[in-house]
Amino acid sequence: MKPLQADSLLVLLLRVGAFLCLAGWTWVHFYWEGPYGVLLWNDSSYALAERLGIDWEDFVGTGADDGLVQRWIGLTGWFYLAVTVLTMTVRQKSYIQMVGLLGGGLLLGVLAYAKFIGAQRQLPMLVEHGGQILAPVLLVLALRLGVRHSLTIIAAMIAMVTTFVGHGCYAMGLWPMPATFPAITTLIFGVEHETAAAMLWWAGILDFLVCAGIFFKVSRRSCALYAAIWGLLTAVARPVAGMSFSLNYWGADQFVHEAVLRAPHFVIPLYLFLVWRRSDQIETVAVDSDIGTGPDAPQKVGPRKMTGSPID
Amino acid sequence: MKFIKWLTLSLLVVLIAGVAVSQQKNQKRKGRAVLSVPKVAKKDLICFALYTVHDNTLKLTAQLYPLPAGDSRTVGLEIKKEEEWVEVARATVIERGWTAPFRVEQWNDSQSYEYRVVHEAGSTYTGTIRKNPVDKGEIVMAAFTGNSIHPAHGGDISREDIIANVKRIDADVLFFAGDQVYDHFKHYAGWLKFGRDFGEIIKDRPTLCLPDDHDAGQPNLWGESGKVSTLGGASDGGYSRPGDYVKEVERAQTSHFPDPVDPHKIGQGIGVWFTNLNWGNVDFAILEDRKFKTGPAGRVPKQGPRPDHIRNPDYDPASVDVDGAVLLGERQLKFLDQWSQDWEKADMKVALSATIFCGGAHIHGGANGRLHADMDSNGWPQSGRDRALSALRKGFAFHCAGDQHLATIFHHGLRSHRDAIWSFCVPSIANLYLRWWEPLKPGANREPGSPIYTGDHLDGFDNKVTNYAAANPEKKPAGNILNTRSAGFGVVRMNTKKREITMECWPRNVDISDPGARQYQGWPRTISQLDNYDPPSWGKLGKLTFDVENPVVQLVDETSGEILYTVRVNGKTFSPGAPKGRAFTVKAGRDQASAVILEEAEVGGSARDIRVK
Repeated sequence: MKPLQADSLLVLLLRVGAFLCLAGWTWVHFYWEGPYGVLLWNDSSYALAERLGIDWEDFVGTGADDGLVQRWIGLTGWFYLAVTVLTMTVRQKSYIQMVGLLGGGLLLGVLAYAKFIGAQRQLPMLVEHGGQILAPVLLVLALRLGVRHSLTIIAAMIAMVTTFVGHGCYAMGLWPMPATFPAITTLIFGVEHETAAAMLWWAGILDFLVCAGIFFKVSRRSCALYAAIWGLLTAVARPVAGMSFSLNYWGADQFVHEAVLRAPHFVIPLYLFLVWRRSDQIETVAVDSDIGTGPDAPQKVGPRKMTGSPID
Repeated sequence: MKFIKWLTLSLLVVLIAGVAVSQQKNQKRKGRAVLSVPKVAKKDLICFALYTVHDNTLKLTAQLYPLPAGDSRTVGLEIKKEEEWVEVARATVIERGWTAPFRVEQWNDSQSYEYRVVHEAGSTYTGTIRKNPVDKGEIVMAAFTGNSIHPAHGGDISREDIIANVKRIDADVLFFAGDQVYDHFKHYAGWLKFGRDFGEIIKDRPTLCLPDDHDAGQPNLWGESGKVSTLGGASDGGYSRPGDYVKEVERAQTSHFPDPVDPHKIGQGIGVWFTNLNWGNVDFAILEDRKFKTGPAGRVPKQGPRPDHIRNPDYDPASVDVDGAVLLGERQLKFLDQWSQDWEKADMKVALSATIFCGGAHIHGGANGRLHADMDSNGWPQSGRDRALSALRKGFAFHCAGDQHLATIFHHGLRSHRDAIWSFCVPSIANLYLRWWEPLKPGANREPGSPIYTGDHLDGFDNKVTNYAAANPEKKPAGNILNTRSAGFGVVRMNTKKREITMECWPRNVDISDPGARQYQGWPRTISQLDNYDPPSWGKLGKLTFDVENPVVQLVDETSGEILYTVRVNGKTFSPGAPKGRAFTVKAGRDQASAVILEEAEVGGSARDIRVK
């Protein structure tokens, strides 16, 4: 594959990852409900609203009508929809759209924080969302700085590490494991709970190992490949375990988005796997398309060996 | 670049490890309690004990702290006879959950016995097995639900007020309707704390604890016969926690129940415990309203932001009453059918379950979160609800439950308002999650001077309900963290002489023996046993006068052959209620309605003298 095509593919990959993640969460916001109740239905939120001159019924509604809380939650879905569209429309010089995408990362950060609070402040719940939060940010970095720029790659590594460390902490039982982990394993593999727990413990060990492994040149590609495969499997495991022909729409509306919004869990490692092809095979070509080799890159240069930007 | 690489790696490791260690060490946060299993001296290894006596069988489960390696795993049960301790049973400790279940058959329930559970390491635990209060005339049940221990809503406040009040009324039986433990991962530690908090009253009287959703380690529970749940919130049906965890929970909370009437296991090898307890001539049906219930996700058309929540007030309630959706399930309905006909040693019948058979709240959550209907309630599936109520009213069963975090009294209706049983949903010990009964329209046919939320209503599933009381919390609870959130407990007095049921609903931290103590608005309320099946449209067949005291009478529809009801009459006379325009066969007997005493009986019939000797 030519370098131009390769870089286009990498950008497309990050674009698809961010799109799927945000589209999945958009579905959640419109079809189900964002997980913000835990942030808003509490006294401190009301105290803040009170300081802003908002009274109780305006804040929470009368019971018959929506209040600020319900309206705000409803509005959030439209922000998600807008940012989802931006993942497809943003180009290398679409600065305003990039700001929008960074806002998308912020929205995902708020969402992750809400889930963190909802999970009784279990740190892995916050950490494991790193991949999703950074998915739109990565797309912006790839477009602005280049898919092979060191900052883009570092951000991708952080995204991957946070996701897998978060999962690993749960899988190894360092925090109480979400019940869905062993339940899904039990159903898919038809094993007893003890076996499922043991499998997950080893998977947790591997989660940590691949996080460390991506920092070493000798192991980073294999680790990224493993992470991509494992990320894909854990994402699709949810619909595989939960869907059934006996359910309305086969249960697709309940489970498919669970896989879709986890797209960064496998897309980002796959991006790292592809970007870490042997550096001596990599050549860059200045382009004026959206593949994002960066605004400061020479506009017309011959093939050259990459020595600086990619992390090696 | 190497520097950047190693710097990034090091920072990540330090950040994650540092925060992890910090969070693991500093788990205690404002508003939340941290559960742990304390180390205890060898003399204190037995934490508490629960028991029931039914049909001359004593079942007692001793709950132990973890036994040190090398210590015996055998525990003895002794009773005091003529000032001597006599061993009546031994049990091997089940290490998973550290329970020791005892069973003593041919138990003499006509007198009380002091008992002690003994472990050879020097630990003993003493209590009293009460005599069966058959001659007491009034059986008093103290009823509880929602035992949150978190300080944010007063869960850390001592239960001493409850202990003192239960002792004051000398309750004959304790009923914990569910959520004895809220921690989804540490039931054992939570259960030990429950024992430390309530053991002092549990040890001396039969106690029924129904494990509900939080006990089983999940936010809601549609057990679906033991399926594995994989959806967050578990509305796809089944258990979120592994089967072995659920079994441990049920062993701790229910292994002292009378034997299950139909002990076949369900999925994941999880057992069942639905059964009945006859105590003081009150026959309690102990129901598992969660275990067989179908999960709504993917089964019903989506009507709200969660698969189990209906927000759309204009939805068609019939659309969610889908074929195949189960509530109690065939096995329990069969049990109820037999139970309602069996009046051996029973004057009154009471059904106990986790929650009530209707949508019993409108506003859910921290504030004005109006929910049209909640499929976690037993208002759904409607067909299952109707079948359950149809079965229960055939025995004039009064219903007591919890779960709602909101105390209520409802008179349920099937074809018309008030044609089925009454229910009392008791308040939470400490109220984690607030709910309000706040219909948008005033109720019809309200009692004079009663609040507008009382009266005849349709719940969110179009079930007919008549509300008589709701202990709504304050809109913005402040100050008394327990009672502004409507925490408390219920007392049910079953007068077996008058055949009356009195419901009391008490706030926390009051002396309920003090004449000045006030219950929540709407309580107390007394109903007749017969009010549990007395549709307004019915008439009377005609007065029957028997030659024996308290015979059992049964009405059978002559057209359909279906039993209308069975009841033990109070005294020698009885005017059976029945629907107009239908003919009934009347059966009667001393303890079983085995003899036909009247045929083609209709409303408006003449008085009769009946011989059943």
